[in-house]
Amino acid sequence: MDKKMTWSDMKTKFPDEWLLITDFKLDKSGHLVAGVVERHSRKKDEVYQLPALNKPTAFRYTGESTFSGLRDHAREHNIL
Amino acid sequence: MQENITSYDTNKHHIHIDMIVTNPKGINYSVAGILDTGAPRTEFSDHFLVHTGFIETKSEKVNLKPGLQTQKYGKITLPSVTICHHKINFFEVFVSHFEPSWGIDALVGLDFFRRFRVTIDYSNGILLTTPIGTLGQNS
Repeated sequence: MDKKMTWSDMKTKFPDEWLLITDFKLDKSGHLVAGVVERHSRKKDEVYQLPALNKPTAFRYTGESTFSGLRDHAREHNIL
Repeated sequence: MQENITSYDTNKHHIHIDMIVTNPKGINYSVAGILDTGAPRTEFSDHFLVHTGFIETKSEKVNLKPGLQTQKYGKITLPSVTICHHKINFFEVFVSHFEPSWGIDALVGLDFFRRFRVTIDYSNGILLTTPIGTLGQNS
């Protein structure tokens, strides 16, 4: 897997997955434009497992974030 | 006065920004995060920090306590973090366990807001950020 892809193509090809991306290009705001997907999985642990790639790497998730704020998260788990 | 412009996606529920973390060897990592005024200080996920070698292992204690996944369990000083084009050297951040479904590895907290004047131009989907120390100076 060494083909450079756009971020849009990555989201289509690897829906709801974590990606490790090298040889990446960012836009002026730092958002990922394109790169080479070196690892992908729905399980974050699998993508972030060592060894590291020892070169510039971008870490991205192609799905929608479920983050609703730390306070909401704590409330859901009865921490507050 | 160094005012930077950073775009973000107004279709998302939060303000997602991407930042660069540089390790001591000069390797750059591009990390996805959320601007979160509910976080007193900036936090990075232990997944990211272990993978990039900033910490050796994740705390298994945190993983074993349901409902406490967001508990901050350590501090680390990152040598260089670039947020909204502003390079911050020796940035002390919390180490946290993030829910994988959040899809991010960083929460940029109030410590960033203390260092920078942050203007959210929601209609245009941009952030305007200026270092506090330079406010009032002519560019």
